Amino acid sequence: MLDHLDELENQSIYIFREAYRKFENLAMLYSIGKDSTTMIHLARKAFFGRIPFPLVHVDTTYKYPEMIAYRDRMAGEWEANLIVGKNEEAIKAGMGPEKGRLVCCEALKTQGLSKVIDEHGYKGLFLGIRRDEEGSRAKERVFSPRDKNFEWAYKDQPPELWDQFNTSFREDTHIRIHPILGWTELNVWEYIQREKIEICPLYFAREGKRFRSLGCMPCTGPIISDADSVEKIIEELKTLRTPERAGRAQDQENAYAMQKLRAKGYM
Amino acid sequence: MSQKDTLKIVIVGHVDHGKSTLIGRLFFDTGSIPEVRYREIEELCKRQGRSFEFAYLMDALEEERDQNVTIDTAQTFFKTKKRPYVIIDAPGHREFLKNMITGAASADAAILLLDGVEGVREQTRRHAYMLSLLGIRQVIVAVNKLDMAGYSQRVFQAASNDILAFLHPLGIVPSYIIPISASEGENIAKSLGKTPWYEGPSILDALDNFKNVRDEEGMDFRFPVQDVYKFDGYRRYAGRIETGSIAVGDEVVFTPSGRRTAVKSIEKWQKPDIQKAGAGECVGLTFEDEVFVERGEVLARYGLAPTPADELRASVFWLSNNPLEKGKSYKLKLATVEVDATLVDIEERFNSSSLEIIERHARQLETTEAGNVIFSLKKPIAAETYVENARLGRFVLEDGMIIGGGGIIREVRSAEGTPVRLLSLDERLATEPDGNQVDLTNLYGEVKFAVTPHFLSLLAKGDRVLFRLRDASQIGPVALLAFENNLGFTFRRERDEVSVVFYREKAASPVPASGEPVI
Repeated sequence: MLDHLDELENQSIYIFREAYRKFENLAMLYSIGKDSTTMIHLARKAFFGRIPFPLVHVDTTYKYPEMIAYRDRMAGEWEANLIVGKNEEAIKAGMGPEKGRLVCCEALKTQGLSKVIDEHGYKGLFLGIRRDEEGSRAKERVFSPRDKNFEWAYKDQPPELWDQFNTSFREDTHIRIHPILGWTELNVWEYIQREKIEICPLYFAREGKRFRSLGCMPCTGPIISDADSVEKIIEELKTLRTPERAGRAQDQENAYAMQKLRAKGYM
Repeated sequence: MSQKDTLKIVIVGHVDHGKSTLIGRLFFDTGSIPEVRYREIEELCKRQGRSFEFAYLMDALEEERDQNVTIDTAQTFFKTKKRPYVIIDAPGHREFLKNMITGAASADAAILLLDGVEGVREQTRRHAYMLSLLGIRQVIVAVNKLDMAGYSQRVFQAASNDILAFLHPLGIVPSYIIPISASEGENIAKSLGKTPWYEGPSILDALDNFKNVRDEEGMDFRFPVQDVYKFDGYRRYAGRIETGSIAVGDEVVFTPSGRRTAVKSIEKWQKPDIQKAGAGECVGLTFEDEVFVERGEVLARYGLAPTPADELRASVFWLSNNPLEKGKSYKLKLATVEVDATLVDIEERFNSSSLEIIERHARQLETTEAGNVIFSLKKPIAAETYVENARLGRFVLEDGMIIGGGGIIREVRSAEGTPVRLLSLDERLATEPDGNQVDLTNLYGEVKFAVTPHFLSLLAKGDRVLFRLRDASQIGPVALLAFENNLGFTFRRERDEVSVVFYREKAASPVPASGEPVI
């Protein structure tokens, strides 16, 4: 007898195993947030306790110190191969949100990611995005091809049905794999609770505030909340009427900010 | 039985018949729109000088809003008191058919939306046909925009007759036909009193009435090998149980290689000592004997394996811009197997909207067309008809580098002929409120029965068992079953159905009290 979380878990495991079989040289993007932490737990289920590919964290140097400390501790616990990528040139040239949030995101995150992929020759990336996060993510495929310039042809995506994913590509294509695309924010928290997954402490309320979504310091704000445990967060989510990424300033830059960022390779 | 909490519904229909508006209305009426989103759209619409556009909730891409069309499928979520729903929005435009199919393929149920004034149009018919090919059986027909027709019962009736006449030959029997206005909200969450002549449920009530129970665990065991891992110095066969269930110690066989062995362990991370697993579960299996089989082979219980097929008769839909051509070879992907398949005949080529046969023994199928075709496979694979086992009865075709179309299997052919299946009576025996039944109506091919003590003891108690047959060709093996077990039987004929009732006569020989099943 499978419940809804079991179904989601099995679907994610199936996707992981399918991608691992089909592509050489994969990596998993690790953003330190609850979604990618949940994704790692699912990967360990898929591969009987292992993470048989490196974790890539794109560090913008604007992350909260608690995030970095948590990242390094967990990577050790999981026995993971952690690769930290940075767009050093842009950082040295003084890139920051004051140059424009979208410009900054593209330079430090999208370009940072592009550099680390080029350097290591990864053919595909696992990403913990979900359809319920935001409109352009809702349109994603589970296996999403990107061209050599990293661009997403969202107007002409290949069909994907019955767990038959597109797995044959030109040599210069880059593939993004989304194992938790069909999960909702609430599903993720209920799963964290059920599986007792340890997540970054910034999610838990301190002095009446907590983070609902983790990102860079200048662009991510906490919400007012007293939820200091997973149970309380789940209760809170059931009553919240604001979107998850309301605290992320880059999304609010203009009406199609996320679509524009993502078409160029943003996560 | 696997019980899902969430029901996935796809909303299909012709362009501009109101799909996005209906979805927006469902969100609104169930209180699922975050306030910030609502205000954001209100603001955007004000700037564009139009009234609140529910469609913007789903059509998130800039091009979609500018041109007022849905380009790609999207998924969103809402909740009723009964359960959560995933809504799959499917584009109505013909050129986005591949996106519509991508969305619809994963749905449990569908709402087929129809503009009551315009009536049945090209995409209404094409989408209805795709629903039938995708095997979606729970369908609501919603006749929309009745506010534009003064909520006229006559308009509703005309549109209903029209769509029913088209759905009937496709084998789609809608569960509900509901008169609605998505923009005004009539019969979405509840009746606003504008259609007093309609007494049926609202859209939300109808959805809540749908079942989300699938009986995949009650079917024969099928485990397509997805990969083989040697992480801990031994071979673990990874895969998902598509249907049925398996326990440690069960005798199993791989198709097409025919290798036999028994299950030694069922493995999951951090879950020691699993004895049994069922449909939907991703597991690792190890076996009593050293077996070396590849991804794509399908594990089944010994005696209940699928036929190794080297020829398939199928219905296909074609989505790619390059035509599907007779004589060409395609990569056919079915469960975890990939095989080169040559298209040897297009028996019928038809327009997927009007369903008119354009041509018999055609040379090619153009984009959005459908056909009945025959594939010859380069090597045998485990395949089944869609009716028998949907998980092994559907496939996609790769055209060059991308998925260009898909289809469902109507008939499996094999050079060796169809093997005889050994069917355990317990697996098919169901006790319904009106008595015990063995349903053989979706069983194809030759069969022998494995008699079980449970089956015999039912009859010994004086119970009767009804065998529902697919057609009269199944009478032979059923009669033999009665003969070999000293049972009485009698025919029952109702309309088109053939059935046989089994009973035990008073003077019959004693039933074996226990022990092994008797064949």
